[in-house]
Amino acid sequence: MADDQGSKQAEQWLALESPGSGGSRGCRIESVGVKLPSRRLTTRDLMSRTRHRTRIQLERLTGIHERRVVGPGENSFTLAAGAARDCLAHSQHRAADIEMLISASITRSRGGSWQSFEPPLSLYIKQAIGATQAVNFDLSNACAGMLTGVFVLADLISRGEIGCGMVVSGEYISHLSWNSARQIRSLFSKQLASLTLGDAGAAVIVERAPDGAPGIDVIGFTTLAEHSRLCLAFPSTVGPGAQMYTKSRALQKVAIQDMAPLVAEAIGEAGIDLSDIDYLIPHQTSARAIRQGLQEFTRRLGVKPKHMVVNLEEYGNTSSTTLFVALHKYLEEQRMHKADRVMLLSIASGVEIGIAIFTIDSQVDRYGRTH
Amino acid sequence: MGARIEAASALTSRGLRKPSARRLADATARTCLAHAGREPGDIDMLINTGIYREDNMGEPALAAIVQEDIGANLGQPPVGGHGTFSFDLLNGTCGVISAIQLQAGMLRSGLIRLGAIVTSDVHPDLKDPRSAPFRPAGGTLLLGWDDSTPGFTDFHSETFPEYEDLFVSGLVWQGRRRQSQMVIDSKPGYHARLVDCAEEATRRFLHGLGIDISEIDLLVPAPSSPDFLDRLRARLGVPGDRVAYCTEDLEGCYTTGPIAALQAAIKSGRLGEARNTVMLAAGAGITVALALYRQLTPRVTRCE
Repeated sequence: MADDQGSKQAEQWLALESPGSGGSRGCRIESVGVKLPSRRLTTRDLMSRTRHRTRIQLERLTGIHERRVVGPGENSFTLAAGAARDCLAHSQHRAADIEMLISASITRSRGGSWQSFEPPLSLYIKQAIGATQAVNFDLSNACAGMLTGVFVLADLISRGEIGCGMVVSGEYISHLSWNSARQIRSLFSKQLASLTLGDAGAAVIVERAPDGAPGIDVIGFTTLAEHSRLCLAFPSTVGPGAQMYTKSRALQKVAIQDMAPLVAEAIGEAGIDLSDIDYLIPHQTSARAIRQGLQEFTRRLGVKPKHMVVNLEEYGNTSSTTLFVALHKYLEEQRMHKADRVMLLSIASGVEIGIAIFTIDSQVDRYGRTH
Repeated sequence: MGARIEAASALTSRGLRKPSARRLADATARTCLAHAGREPGDIDMLINTGIYREDNMGEPALAAIVQEDIGANLGQPPVGGHGTFSFDLLNGTCGVISAIQLQAGMLRSGLIRLGAIVTSDVHPDLKDPRSAPFRPAGGTLLLGWDDSTPGFTDFHSETFPEYEDLFVSGLVWQGRRRQSQMVIDSKPGYHARLVDCAEEATRRFLHGLGIDISEIDLLVPAPSSPDFLDRLRARLGVPGDRVAYCTEDLEGCYTTGPIAALQAAIKSGRLGEARNTVMLAAGAGITVALALYRQLTPRVTRCE
């Protein structure tokens, strides 16, 4: 065991889990659910409410036309519980099958302006959906929280410690936009990124894959901590919730420079090429940043994925839920088919880089009826 | 073969006018690495389980900042090197045991070779530190792989949601003060129920393993208040000399509790002598987490 560990770690920068597809130790994403608030806020409307005249053309800059924002009675907890229920509705599992439940949201609101610290939000969520026997805890890893949870579950499932787990996140994060709107003056403000945020809940069930069935090929993470202070969020002093300060250009530069070798490492571990990826779902920040990132991948790796998924126009940046909101949308719209290979690409404050590559299988049959 | 405790370090904020969660975590991480004879770059995974910070920072994970502060694998990812993955895990007093469970598993699967768990809590409202129901402190635990010892073999976690309202904490916006204020509300009866739940979960855990309480050589419990420990010990029938009490200066520390108790057990040599050690933590939820740590032969583990 120790020798195996040594040889494995010496070759990889990422903490890399490769349970393999179809093997007895394989695991897969069984189901994805979302809860989107019905209320919509257009970028035009948001920018019309800034305290100062900013002249920022946010929609042109980011590609975000609108985002969903919570209405009365909605908060991080209700979005998370709603997404968990939707996930179970698309799943062959019952709540009682969930052996571990991880809540991974940045925001933890639960009624009024209350941001819950203890007990962990995961306790309330598991009680709400009836997964009462599940081991629960919260993870906090900025916008990479949900994929971090999948990474954790993949290891537990691959070793046979559990058979089925859920990662859930409810992000009522639009208060950052309102707090930013009160203070922002120009394009160069460190609070610009806060204007891109939207509210959403998402949940994912990860389970042991049946023998021979495809699943998660590779999932890996690393923290480029030299840049840990490029994006910081603290409780606001102008209104409920938080304020976020982002050095967007520096963050994007790190992402573009350092992401390509890490992606190369992950696809190398999976034994594939980037052109074998049918759908690349990156963290949704701005359409321009995603385009630039793709160009850099193509330049460095020589190939590109078949499709790049961007849903910013409708939802904006829904923080820790973006990857799974996008995956759910494509499943519901029946754009993905069995044997399609998907790459989830997380980039978050820290700087956290997470990569998951998996193959679509029978889960696709349980989507599309509501579309 | 199993995940072994390489070193443990815990520290109070004694002498610091403005305690900082980050600095407490940084200081104990450096001390712990030094005592284990390890370099920061050896850490493959760093999990922070602290809850309360002076600034209530929401992102990034505090673990990422600690990683930068101690200099663990910074810079651009070169092909062939290895990085550090850092994130926060929040589960109150039970967070350390939850993190041990994750890292023990990842050590077993070969995903990591050295795991670090850091904790720290300071009261967010520095204007009134007396309102804090805990003592500011930080800690670090290093876990490595050992071919010659079973190490952490079994874990158990239970929640008792009927008592979820007995201890709650959160940030509330105070419009008049134009700031969010941390509210920590511990209701009467919480500590008594904590003992009840801890006893119940411990008995269930040991029964499931087929181990009698008399076979437990050392109980490493948190929280560290004598009020909890003495009552639990009496209820379980564990002699006082089989309980790891943390040092007086660390009594009342919060998420650092399990590390503080481990540090005391290591210093006294009792952890090294114990074949069967049970770590126990009980906190908000009510949540009880347990871990069994087994050694075939006495070992020397370093601490400060």
